[in-house]
Amino acid sequence: MRLNVIKAYLKKEFIDLIRNKMIILIYLIPFMILILFGFGIKMEVTHTRTIIIDKDHSKLSLEIINKFSHTKYFDVKVENLSDKEALHKIQTNKADMIVIIPPSFSKNLYKGSEIGVFIDGAFPLRAITIEGYVQKLLIHGFDIKLPIKIENRNFFNESMKDYNAVVPGLFGLIFLVVPGALAAIMIVKEKEVGTIFNFYSAPIKKIEFIIAKLTPPFLFHSVNIFILLILALYIFDVPFRGNLFIFWLASEIYILISVGIGLLVSIITSTQIAALVLSVIITVIPGFLYSGILMPISSMDKESYIEAHIFPVMYYNHLVYDSFLIGQGFKSSENVLYFLILCAYAISLILLGTLLVKKAVK
Amino acid sequence: MKMSAILKKEFLVFFRNVGLVIFILYAFTMDIYIAGGGIKVTPKNVSIGYVNEADNLMVNKIISSFHSPEFKKPEMFLNEKALKDAIYNKKIMVGIVFDKNFVNNLLSGKTAKLQVLIDSTAAAQAEVTLIYLQNILMKFNKNVKVPAKIDIIKLFNPNSNTKWFMSLSELMSVITMLGLVLIAVVFVREKENGTWDIMLLMPVKSSLIIFSKILSQVLILMAGITTSVGLVVFGAFDAPINGNLLDFYLISFLYAFAIGGIALVIAAVSKNVLEVGHLTIVIMLPLIFLSGAWTPLSSMHPFIQFLSYFSPLRYYIQATQDIFFRGSGFMDLIPYFGAELLMSLVLFYIGYKKIGRLF
Repeated sequence: MRLNVIKAYLKKEFIDLIRNKMIILIYLIPFMILILFGFGIKMEVTHTRTIIIDKDHSKLSLEIINKFSHTKYFDVKVENLSDKEALHKIQTNKADMIVIIPPSFSKNLYKGSEIGVFIDGAFPLRAITIEGYVQKLLIHGFDIKLPIKIENRNFFNESMKDYNAVVPGLFGLIFLVVPGALAAIMIVKEKEVGTIFNFYSAPIKKIEFIIAKLTPPFLFHSVNIFILLILALYIFDVPFRGNLFIFWLASEIYILISVGIGLLVSIITSTQIAALVLSVIITVIPGFLYSGILMPISSMDKESYIEAHIFPVMYYNHLVYDSFLIGQGFKSSENVLYFLILCAYAISLILLGTLLVKKAVK
Repeated sequence: MKMSAILKKEFLVFFRNVGLVIFILYAFTMDIYIAGGGIKVTPKNVSIGYVNEADNLMVNKIISSFHSPEFKKPEMFLNEKALKDAIYNKKIMVGIVFDKNFVNNLLSGKTAKLQVLIDSTAAAQAEVTLIYLQNILMKFNKNVKVPAKIDIIKLFNPNSNTKWFMSLSELMSVITMLGLVLIAVVFVREKENGTWDIMLLMPVKSSLIIFSKILSQVLILMAGITTSVGLVVFGAFDAPINGNLLDFYLISFLYAFAIGGIALVIAAVSKNVLEVGHLTIVIMLPLIFLSGAWTPLSSMHPFIQFLSYFSPLRYYIQATQDIFFRGSGFMDLIPYFGAELLMSLVLFYIGYKKIGRLF
């Protein structure tokens, strides 16, 4: 390894990235993903367009309508429609839920009166959540005394805000997808344009080439760690309870993993578009699935649970969630283990890539 | 005649790039299968732990009612601290503590309090899990008289099968991504390879070149959609279709042209494939996330809801959901067709003007 060779090659890479205006995209894309997904992924359901058909017109039915109107979860309209018209409203996506209070509903209380709730099931999670809200609301509405009362204590995300779950989870997605794609493209570009022959013929060693190619994406994205952290803390108001140093170190190693994946992708592809598509496809799905944004890993079924352990995103996000919401740091042996696993990933990916890069025409 | 020659050339270029063909097949089949089967948004197999300080048969009865598919087998912990540690290490999502007074209170008719510790990182999941808990405990509230039966029916997808919804959402995301990339690349590759000048020398009108180039990629997309809907959505996931499949094809076709218009703008401003890739990501992400592909539009910020009226994907998503789930007929879908047609005309015009300058 000769430092001056690496330095010269690095200089060329930096100039290239800046001339290409790639530098803008390096910082724009992670920023955009965080802002868009952060504001865009809404798991909580509010403003359900509800139509209540009151055929009873009693005090009780008015009370029920009132109950529905006074939450942020439902936007209530009371209309006088036939059942068929109401169904058509859902079919044409003009309403999400219809509540039908039948005639003489309050008269028949305790004698088999029934309240009908029809929910648009096209969005399954939304349907289940709405179902739960309705049940809760009606049980309260009827003032039913339950012998068992649940007293729940919420951990980590006490205020139950979507931001607290989504924003830290996005770190694992962004730093898996973006540095890898950049690294893959930077190498494959030489192949596509033909300048890879400079590398084949010049007296530069494989290891020097790889270091020169992987350093720019690594360094640029190291800055991104802090940009995203600041966004998370000040725009989304996510608490940070852990150790900044551990968070930073884990992120750097995770970026190395991503860059390593990019290196591997660059070996098997020969056009930039293929490199981009392949690196995005193999990283986006696991990055999203096993990030813990949608579903805690512990609650996955056996198959996905094992798959989650194959991809590095689970280990990184565990550390990220710990840094943001939990704050155990290295006091928990679990976190130490996960950190070591990340290191092992980074080393083996880069080693594998170094072994497979050929300094000759195939 | 000239058009078919261009089409033939574009198909040849496409199929010679074996790698690309494989990726596109992957995107339209496996990718959608993984997304549909893998992303479970409704809580299943929630990991649950408990501490039993009450030591009573009643507790065992309650514990044994937590079972699959909603819950994993409950794990017993010796004390609250051990349970908390497991939650902190994310081994357990829900912890229940039955304290000593629980059974006494329950049997003597007082309100028995049940302590539930829940990892609420994924807030919506936690909320739904609490609803599950509530429903299970309702069974132990036999003496309670309910004044009225609450009859909740989830239309179109009564069992909340997420595979159908997820696979369609992923399909629409894939169409958006590939539509932008493929169509833009058809033009930009000519720029990059230096064959652009040769193209200009062809004795063919520029409008015909532009149109046939786009058409070739739209046809590839339509083939991909057919494969995907046939093999994955209907084949593997056995999704219902309550509307008419032809309506879906029509709206897909219109959408592909709207995307084509955006892709023309991308093609006009980028010099190489790399720039296409980056611009695609920058345009695709907001398009997908703010048009309600994954999370319902009605819960989003009003301003985003307003913006989404300008997204061609919004109409495509709503029409697709209407066709597959809500079973809307052609007449009900006309507003979507109209909006999508308008979007594609406007976007196509803008794109055409942009790229036309280069001819």
